[in-house]
Amino acid sequence: MKIIVFIEQIVSTQVKLQGVDYFDSTRVSEDDLVINPSSKNALEGALKLKDQLGAEVTAVCVRGLKPNKALREAIAMGCTDAIEIADENIYTDDPLLLAKVYVEALGKIGEFDLVFLGVEEQSTGSYAIGAMLSEKLGLPSVLYAEELEVIDSGYKVGHVLEGGRKIVAMPSKGVISCSDSQYFTPRYTSMRGILTAKRAEIPKWTAADLGLSSSVVGKEATSLIEVSFSNIVLEKESYIIKEGEPEEKVENLLAKLKEDEVKLGA
Amino acid sequence: MVKTLVFGQIREDVIEENTLGVLNKLTEISGISEIIVALFGHQIKDEWITELGKHGASRVVSVKAPELEVYLSRPYVKAMLEVIEKTEPMLVIAAGTVYGEDLIPRLAVHHGVSCAQRINDISIVGDELHFHTPVRDDQAMKVNRIEGAIKFATSRAGAFFVNENPDGGSPNVESFDVTFSEEDMLVKHIEIKKAERTVNLKDAKIIVAGGRGVGGKEQFQIIRELAEILGGEIGATRACTDVHWIEETYEIGQTGQSVSPDIYIAAGISGAPQHVSGIKAKTLIAINTDEGAAIFNFADYGIVGDLHVILPILKQKLQG
Ligand SMILES: Cc1cc2nc3c(=O)[nH]c(=O)nc-3n(C[C@H](O)[C@H](O)[C@H](O)COP(=O)(O)OP(=O)(O)OC[C@H]3O[C@@H](n4cnc5c(N)ncnc54)[C@H](O)[C@@H]3O)c2cc1C
Repeated sequence: MKIIVFIEQIVSTQVKLQGVDYFDSTRVSEDDLVINPSSKNALEGALKLKDQLGAEVTAVCVRGLKPNKALREAIAMGCTDAIEIADENIYTDDPLLLAKVYVEALGKIGEFDLVFLGVEEQSTGSYAIGAMLSEKLGLPSVLYAEELEVIDSGYKVGHVLEGGRKIVAMPSKGVISCSDSQYFTPRYTSMRGILTAKRAEIPKWTAADLGLSSSVVGKEATSLIEVSFSNIVLEKESYIIKEGEPEEKVENLLAKLKEDEVKLGA
Repeated sequence: MVKTLVFGQIREDVIEENTLGVLNKLTEISGISEIIVALFGHQIKDEWITELGKHGASRVVSVKAPELEVYLSRPYVKAMLEVIEKTEPMLVIAAGTVYGEDLIPRLAVHHGVSCAQRINDISIVGDELHFHTPVRDDQAMKVNRIEGAIKFATSRAGAFFVNENPDGGSPNVESFDVTFSEEDMLVKHIEIKKAERTVNLKDAKIIVAGGRGVGGKEQFQIIRELAEILGGEIGATRACTDVHWIEETYEIGQTGQSVSPDIYIAAGISGAPQHVSGIKAKTLIAINTDEGAAIFNFADYGIVGDLHVILPILKQKLQG
């Protein structure tokens, strides 16, 4: 059994870059780069099946400034191997182009059973990639999964739904996107995993290796055209208390609320 | 003029609220010429059509089939593609619910284009449609247009106001059949586990809400105590209801309850878009150990600190 997990590397929320600046890659260092939390949920989904069924798990990273770092962490969590796809001819801000890259990557990998992804591509706030990928592959899919159970015919999957949770059954070959649920809570890297990751050879593929060019997956190919990108100017400043002993912080807050005539309590 | 097709979603036997919001929004945009709604189900109720008409739909195209009883990607994509072919819209839009976010990108793939997601505004500039999407915890705004003859978009949950007293007319109704094969039904519906809604938070004036940062079932006690002192209700994120630290009824957000209190205290909550989209508070106060947590971008007031240290002090000071 083979599972492919597509992961994304993002700039950590610990990096205090506001608004538009957050997307300016020249402002971040390698230390600021982490695996998208949503991608970690996907890794956990695959690794649970590895533990349970002995699946082989390959992590693939297309999005990120230093995909190699993210992939080593994925191996340290327990993935069997990893593939880096990096090419400036790939425009990763359009989920449709990204889906095209994923399809070709799966083609080059060959046989696979399941594809796991995180529900959200954090860097673009996109939720579309799972849906687009499964549609392009023509494979059954369950998005926003929160729990998964192996059954005879494939998997029983519970997914997020307004007002509750929906349970469906899907065949054993397909695409699953994973939510931030208890079931998909990511494991930590292990000492042994870290050592394996250090030694791991991670192949690097380019667009050309996948038979793709910038006219197919580059910025010139996108149908999603940015008209403008700007900071949202807030009318009111927020009052965030960072300094002081806990007691002082609370007093500070209560005093400010009083000054602003905000009444706490009925 | 922009002919628009809206995915008509049904939730708990009525038209889903965000879908009505989308209709209201569309009626406000001059340049939108015709609002068509696609309605699918095992049965199509007359009340639904009346409701859609009131909110601005001029035409309803329905498909009735047992396979469409509950949303499943394949049969819904198939039915929707046929409606698109019949109605030839320039814009296809769905409210950004779980189903809407599942459907729209798939339809876009079949038309070879990308899609705009979670928009909170549409504008028409010249003969171009512009889609506005807030990103990065609502700190920045991306405006996109989509190339091609037909554009696909989802709205952000809670983005559009629902007109309480709509005065639209009755839409023209047409229906047709779509046949489904076994291939279309590979994913099978088993059941919907509805969260029990025992407490209504809609009218609560004060809500003290806890997130994963609370750390456990027993630790929720401080949230309960503070809510009691303030004469308010408690709330929680899906992360907490998922692990049963607190009853499902207290979930707030896109898939939980929508609230509009005077004061919302968010403790140990990161500020995921699906959570904050359910909150329309006059004043939001956040307590979080992570200074970079998104919730601070939505907060009016905040303390960077451990909620288990801060809240007991707050409680003590409020008690007097
Ligand atoms: C389709 C869909 C719909 C969804 N609908 C909803 C919804 O309706 N409602 C909802 O809530 N979620 C919803 N979610 C889930 C949502 O995306 C987030 O996963 C969830 O809101 C996160 O909850 P959280 O903030 O409690 O947890 P986390 O994101 O894990 O955040 C915990 C926070 O607590 C802080 N913290 C930790 N310890 C402390 C401490 N001691 N003191 C203070 N702070 C501390 C951390 O810094 C962190 O910011 C939905 C997801 C999907 C995919």
